[in-house]
Amino acid sequence: MTNNLPTVSIDHITKSFGEFTAVSDLSLAVYPGRVFGLLGPNGAGKTTTIRMIVNITAPDSGRIEVFGSQITPELQDRIGYLPEERGLYKKMKVGDQLKFFAALKNVPAKEAAKRVDHWLARLKLTEWKNKKASELSKGMQQKVQFITAITHEPELLILDEPFSGLDPVNVEVLKEIILELKVAGKTIIFSTHQMEVAEKICDDICLINRSRKVLQGSIREVKRAFSRNAVALRLQGGESVLEDRSLISKAQRDSDGIEVLLAAGATSQELLKHLIAAGATIERFEMIEPSLHDIFIEKVTENV
Amino acid sequence: MNKLLAVIRREYLQRVRTKFFVVMTVLGPLMLVVFTIVPGLLFSMKTGDTRIAIVDQTEGTKLYDSIRNSLLNREREDQDNQQPSIAETANSNSVQRMEKAGKSMTGSFRVEQVKPNGRALDEIKRELNARIGRDELDGYLVIPPDILSNSESKPSYYGRNVGDVITSEQIKDRLNSAVRRQRLIQQGVKDQDVDTLSKSVGVATYPVNEKGEEGAEDSGAGFAMVFIVAFLIYISVLLYGQVVLGAIIEEKETRIAEILFSSVRPFQIMFGKLIGVSLMALTQLLIWAVAFGAVALYVVPAMAARGFKDINLPHLPPFFFVYFFLFFVLGYFIYATVYVLVGSMVTTTQEGGQMAMPVVFMLMAGLYMAFPVIRAPNSSFAVWVSMVPFFAPITMLVRIISQTPPFWQIALSLVIGFGTVVLLLWLASRIYRIGMLMYGKKATIPEVMRWVRQA
Repeated sequence: MTNNLPTVSIDHITKSFGEFTAVSDLSLAVYPGRVFGLLGPNGAGKTTTIRMIVNITAPDSGRIEVFGSQITPELQDRIGYLPEERGLYKKMKVGDQLKFFAALKNVPAKEAAKRVDHWLARLKLTEWKNKKASELSKGMQQKVQFITAITHEPELLILDEPFSGLDPVNVEVLKEIILELKVAGKTIIFSTHQMEVAEKICDDICLINRSRKVLQGSIREVKRAFSRNAVALRLQGGESVLEDRSLISKAQRDSDGIEVLLAAGATSQELLKHLIAAGATIERFEMIEPSLHDIFIEKVTENV
Repeated sequence: MNKLLAVIRREYLQRVRTKFFVVMTVLGPLMLVVFTIVPGLLFSMKTGDTRIAIVDQTEGTKLYDSIRNSLLNREREDQDNQQPSIAETANSNSVQRMEKAGKSMTGSFRVEQVKPNGRALDEIKRELNARIGRDELDGYLVIPPDILSNSESKPSYYGRNVGDVITSEQIKDRLNSAVRRQRLIQQGVKDQDVDTLSKSVGVATYPVNEKGEEGAEDSGAGFAMVFIVAFLIYISVLLYGQVVLGAIIEEKETRIAEILFSSVRPFQIMFGKLIGVSLMALTQLLIWAVAFGAVALYVVPAMAARGFKDINLPHLPPFFFVYFFLFFVLGYFIYATVYVLVGSMVTTTQEGGQMAMPVVFMLMAGLYMAFPVIRAPNSSFAVWVSMVPFFAPITMLVRIISQTPPFWQIALSLVIGFGTVVLLLWLASRIYRIGMLMYGKKATIPEVMRWVRQA
């Protein structure tokens, strides 16, 4: 963690819609220069939380601070937001549209025009500048939407499912930009239910399910906490070692080799020693961490 | 403030550049003409001559020639009846007005005489009815023998299409003058005196304003003007209200609202939208006003120079335009704000259309109230309906044109109206900021009530 003050700090917030509680007693902190993953299944309360951070709705109770103070419409100018539900004016030209959204963030017209051109070029959309949004493909619209979130050079960027519906090439382009922004010291909140993506991009995560926080920490910490002492092996010989129940509690063969779970008290070092002693040829010996996907499934299903 | 301007700018420029705007600007006045004049024109339009047979039972068929002349030579008598005064026009119901309009339209007759030659009337009628059935004849008149001596005696008309009130009215009218003429001659009035004596008396109508000043002779253009203004307010408020509704629903359907709300206060977006569309409306009205002014200044004198002397554009005092502007803005903001309210409750344009129906009815009610108000602009009914904000934009303007009410009434109506606008804006903004983020289903009334109460 950094010593900096958090960009966003959420303190025991709760939000209900009538009978339905969307977010209950949620606290978290997001630090500058890091990518924060807000993870959870559909309907967990991610979008509601984000809407409260960007001041679209207010929590029923609890406190949200952005840039060290309670959110105001002025602070909104320093936040970039890509909502999950994408929307562009269908009949408005792409360029005009981007300049309009920049104006809403108080970017001077000249500066906005320059930045819009820059980002359109970067995302290979320059030739679409004077086309109406309705003429663009879905993927292109999504890229345009992404530009609306960054033209005002926000210090805090909130992306709600930014990659859904994009082809792999564009996913890479967007990832590259996100990482550049992170390096430049911006804070990024990233909401998704695609764990593979989160795993590659996020520094810190917070997993919420059914309106409540179930897990929080840096990716390293979380994975370490869920480490199940599993080792992936590809061997020739040494079969007898695998039968040793004092070393291995479970072995599972698949097409690529064997995945074993170490027995309680056993270490990977011991397993390696025994394998060498048994004269096995070791082609692969790798400690496996649980994937975020596995952790997600485990936490979400255990809560049901 | 910059953000509000950005919203207004986008709304205005995007809309003024559309084909819809250009088309409406050109077609608007045309539609107005079409809606006000064409129905009457179509109604009085008749293709071909009306074939009429006359069974004159008077002794020596004295009347036939007279009726024939009257029917064929219609111009003389009708000219006198033309140009109904405003009072007369305003007091007529629409059928009567249509009939009057009909009289000035061309409708020509072919007349033939059926001589009884000793046959019984029933027999003649059978024969004529058969001819009507074969479409050889459109109708026939039966003139009783005692018509000239007995003032209670009535001729009868038998025809295929008695629903054609214009033609029946023409026949009645001309038959009347023929019979009257013949009666006068029988009483010893000289033939050449009959026309001068039976010439109908025209009434010249002059308006007197509240300061006791007389205006120029009113030839009925005043009534037309009242109607046109009422209709113009009705149609433009309706039209631009729908534009606002469409804009609101678009932003909700496409989820743009979410991005907007993350940048600007909801009230600023809503208000900016209302102002942007109102500027578009005012631009259009200004173009129309300039076009109308150009017609009045250049086209009418040019036409008059070529001999079209009857074109009579009503004279509108300059203060009228100020009132028109004020009441248009009032009407627009009342209805457009209601449309915002409706738009943020629904999820699709179709639903919006249904929910907006009661709003449209309110506006239509205002238009219909214009008619009783024209007849008695200072009646207590007129005063009350011109104070009700939902009707005032039409009814108060109608009063101002027809018989300008005391200033305090106009001022009061405006104060009540704009007070209502403020109230509606407050209500709409509370529903808007929550409704715009609710997707999937139409909001229920209790839900909406809760949104309003939420801080």
